[in-house]
Amino acid sequence: MTKLTKILALVLALVLALSLAACGAGGGNEPAPAPDDGSAPEQAAENTGTPLAEGEDIVVGGIFNVTGFQSPIDAPAQQAFALAIKQINENGGINGHMLKYVTYDGQTDQTVCANNATQLINTDGAIVIGGLSDSDYAYAAGAVAQAAGIPIVFSGATTPDIPEVNGNCSFMTAFGDNVCAEAAASYAYEELGARTAYVMIDNAMSYTTNLAQYFIDKFEELGGEIVLTDYSTTGDLDYSAQVQRYLANGEADIMFMSTGPDDASTVIQQFRQAGATAPMMSGDGWDSDLWGVAGDLANQDVYVATHYATSDDSPIVQNFIADYTEEYGYPPENAFAALGYDCMMVIAKAIEMCGDDITPANIRDNLEHIQGLECVTGTISYTPDNHVPAKTVVITQAVDGALSFLKNQA
Amino acid sequence: MSPLKFKDVPVLRFIAFIVIPLVILILAAGAPKSYITSLIVTIGMYSLLCASLNLVNGFSGMFSMGHAAFMCIGAYMTSFFTVAPNVLAAHCPGLPNFMIHTSLPYPIALILGGLAAAVVSLVIAFPVVRTKGHYLSVATLALIVIVGAVVDNEEQFTYGSRGLTGIPAQSTVWPVWIVLIVCLFIMYRLVHSAYGRGLKAMRDDPTAAQTLGINLVSKKLSIFAFSAFFAGVGGGLYAHYLTTISSAAFSFTRSFAIVEISIIGGMGSLSGSFLGAIFYTIVPSLLQNLENGMVLFGTRLPQLFGLANIIMAAFIIILIIFRRQGLMGNSEIILDTYFRKSTYTALFKKGEWAKIPRYFADIPVRISAWSASRKKLRMEKKAP
Amino acid sequence: MTLTYFLTMLISGLRLGSVYALIAVGYAMVYGILRLINFAHGDIMTLGVYFMIALMISLGLPFWATMIISVILSIAVGLIMERCAYRPLRSAAEETVLISSLAVSTILQNLMTMIWTAQRMPVKLPAWLSVANRIGPFTIKTISFVTFGVTAAALIILTIIIRKTRIGVAMRACSENRKAAMLMGININRVIMFTFAVGSALAALAGFMMSGDYGTVYPTLGFTPSLKAFCAAVIGGIGSLGGSVLGAFIIGIAEMLFAGLVPTNLTNYRDAFVFAAMIVILLFRPNGIFGKQEGGRS
Repeated sequence: MTKLTKILALVLALVLALSLAACGAGGGNEPAPAPDDGSAPEQAAENTGTPLAEGEDIVVGGIFNVTGFQSPIDAPAQQAFALAIKQINENGGINGHMLKYVTYDGQTDQTVCANNATQLINTDGAIVIGGLSDSDYAYAAGAVAQAAGIPIVFSGATTPDIPEVNGNCSFMTAFGDNVCAEAAASYAYEELGARTAYVMIDNAMSYTTNLAQYFIDKFEELGGEIVLTDYSTTGDLDYSAQVQRYLANGEADIMFMSTGPDDASTVIQQFRQAGATAPMMSGDGWDSDLWGVAGDLANQDVYVATHYATSDDSPIVQNFIADYTEEYGYPPENAFAALGYDCMMVIAKAIEMCGDDITPANIRDNLEHIQGLECVTGTISYTPDNHVPAKTVVITQAVDGALSFLKNQA
Repeated sequence: MSPLKFKDVPVLRFIAFIVIPLVILILAAGAPKSYITSLIVTIGMYSLLCASLNLVNGFSGMFSMGHAAFMCIGAYMTSFFTVAPNVLAAHCPGLPNFMIHTSLPYPIALILGGLAAAVVSLVIAFPVVRTKGHYLSVATLALIVIVGAVVDNEEQFTYGSRGLTGIPAQSTVWPVWIVLIVCLFIMYRLVHSAYGRGLKAMRDDPTAAQTLGINLVSKKLSIFAFSAFFAGVGGGLYAHYLTTISSAAFSFTRSFAIVEISIIGGMGSLSGSFLGAIFYTIVPSLLQNLENGMVLFGTRLPQLFGLANIIMAAFIIILIIFRRQGLMGNSEIILDTYFRKSTYTALFKKGEWAKIPRYFADIPVRISAWSASRKKLRMEKKAP
Repeated sequence: MTLTYFLTMLISGLRLGSVYALIAVGYAMVYGILRLINFAHGDIMTLGVYFMIALMISLGLPFWATMIISVILSIAVGLIMERCAYRPLRSAAEETVLISSLAVSTILQNLMTMIWTAQRMPVKLPAWLSVANRIGPFTIKTISFVTFGVTAAALIILTIIIRKTRIGVAMRACSENRKAAMLMGININRVIMFTFAVGSALAALAGFMMSGDYGTVYPTLGFTPSLKAFCAAVIGGIGSLGGSVLGAFIIGIAEMLFAGLVPTNLTNYRDAFVFAAMIVILLFRPNGIFGKQEGGRS
């Protein structure tokens, strides 16, 4: 190796480093996205595009984590989303356009979700995207959609700051965790007369962490006392440490179990079998098969604050359950199926409101002006300042294999 | 005269490995929002991560599987210096004040992220490199669990599983690929230095290397730290690509992916990381269409999610059965083209350009020579 | 903290340890012969449970029959896996085979997801197995005793096989020095197939015990427990069956005591604690507690 080569190499490296520094500095001057001070979401790149021609298909994209550990939530949502599209097409489409559904598996991986969003928008020409039930993935895909100015409606994600972080192209089908947890806390305090609470937090998931925090805040604000806070991890099979510690600490008036849908039945079984008798409560994540593992134990004082009750006899709910059962051979697995269905209903409404002028920007604007849309999981309204629907939380109790309606908690 | 080989024609190599990729990169950078561009950025990041893994796995003889842990450290550290102070103050109040309030240019933040990963790796490496063989692989896997638990549980520093948001999206084509090339240059020089030769000696025969005066412990520790540094930089790039990070982004799956890329490309080759990353990124994205229920001979196949993963995994098994050393083996032809002076001086020599037509003219000769050698091999196998 | 509380934790730890032990024995057997961390071991475990459920639901067979058939099916899958993914790589480097086992694990997991979906499925055992017995202030399920018994029986039977039978001698020879064993006329393929058969059977049994205890099964069920079981085997000294069982109990009890005794905000460090403990033990005993000095890549 000669001296010349060394010098050459050094110069080359320096040039590369400097040019990179220039790139970096250039990027650094951009305004930081999503300041956390509650200011209005940043403006989207207007994607006016060209309106669809007469009879041209509307490409609707779907991103769902149908494999990986999110799949128990996202797979039902995906099926319901597809069902909604099928029904719309069977009824002649929207404004003379048929829907073309393109979906990719997010594989429970942020990178894949982000790349899927890019592919849907740029390769498949999707003008609106639906899907995703957890904020981690919603942030990843939402950032891409925001940059392209394509509206994206999240089916099951409930972290209330998603539209704030992502920008004005993001919409949520579900209520925010804050609303859900506050309703649960109020119900526990007022209706169940709970004054002391035990909280178990699955802090490996953003949903459960947020939910528990909002519950604690509200419960303490009402005058209740949190006697013990314990932690678990998603997919834990063994809760004996938490159970024993809870029992040793003395029973509380209510147990708020902030865990994911998968763990719900296991949690109930292990706490009840060890002799914990206080009422249990949780958020919409528990709107799932509570009886699978726990059996009859799930019928003992378990309350769930969720999106809708399957026992609700309004036609829209019963029709959805019947249609889903007919299509897939079994009833909806959990509330996320209903949310997936509603997600598509919201999108369809916005497209319908566009009339003949169907562009991403128009769909986005119309999403912001949806008022009082009757859905399976309640009435959905958006405003330009609020992309999180203010829906009623339904308090339900587990009775004989189903969640039965108790109260609409505002 | 024996037929010309590809590696003997520097100008052709220049065209194949520098000009064509450069054109692709320029085109990609011109269309920042297209799907292909996002794949190219992903390829760049995976190449860097895989090359840094090869530094340990291919050149030192240790087999680490804990790359995701170092990525995670690098990603968080880099992001602490690029995320807007008001976001950090709201979400990560436990951080020291200077971290919250300092915003650094992206490249410097990346270097700091890499350094943080390297420092942590040194601390962890003391116990880990003392273990042997598979024990070391499992110990490095353990690192992922430990780092993940810290990220999830120390909410005042990381905002826990809710994830760090508001990371500026600066990992576009040029930053990623320039960082990649600079890092590859450093790694290339490293493995071709006296230090690197000592490393390979240690890999091939630790005892013999020791008798020659090579300090095995310091070699292992240092290469572990180097590898962690580049993994940290890669993690930083990755964070600024995703714009939101949480421990879920740095799980076993990520580590396994990088190890698989490294096996596909060839562990003993830094260049192999390119091929491995391209393969690992492009093939699944093509298979996705299959999953989506594509139309084949007029019938629509059913949607089968998970099929792409299965085909990919089966392909990896077949590949390692038939080509154990990976696509590139130990060859460094791509990086040799980049970082050797001869590539660039050849452009100005007349004789070198004249080799190109000769190379193409030699193609039939080479094919017949190749088939003859295959035939001979088969004959030898038949008659033992 | 009372003594009762401490003892409850200890009993939970023993229960957890016996599940890990059953997984660890199978893991350690395969590792002992092949020097292969078989990442697919946990998936065979899960697959066995799915076989059992499928047989119960579709054919309505009695419990003991489904168990036997699904153990046989698991063995078949284990052997196919060995034939297709590991045998062609017999002479390859250790890490190449490791990747092969990772790929097999991916295939099995995705297949299970495609066939049975990723939803958790309830696993219902006969009532007499899931009874919770109250012994003084403690509650112990019958299945915990059964798991304990199965682990002990497996350990004894395996020890007898390895010590007394011809195939056992061949296995020991293979694990000492495969090439020398081959030169002595031992049919290596047969030995390895036998090892895989036993390993898969043990995995399926461990799957029954574990998902029976927790009442549920899903495609990724096997991953974390089998990684911890491998940790246990490493701590005990891999290659020594007794050592891996002891390691499993150490891990189970340590994990439980850690989770039960630390302040609640540290509860979630339990997995990290297990793995950190493994690193620390390896620091002082690089071959595990009962491990023999062995070569291999450093």
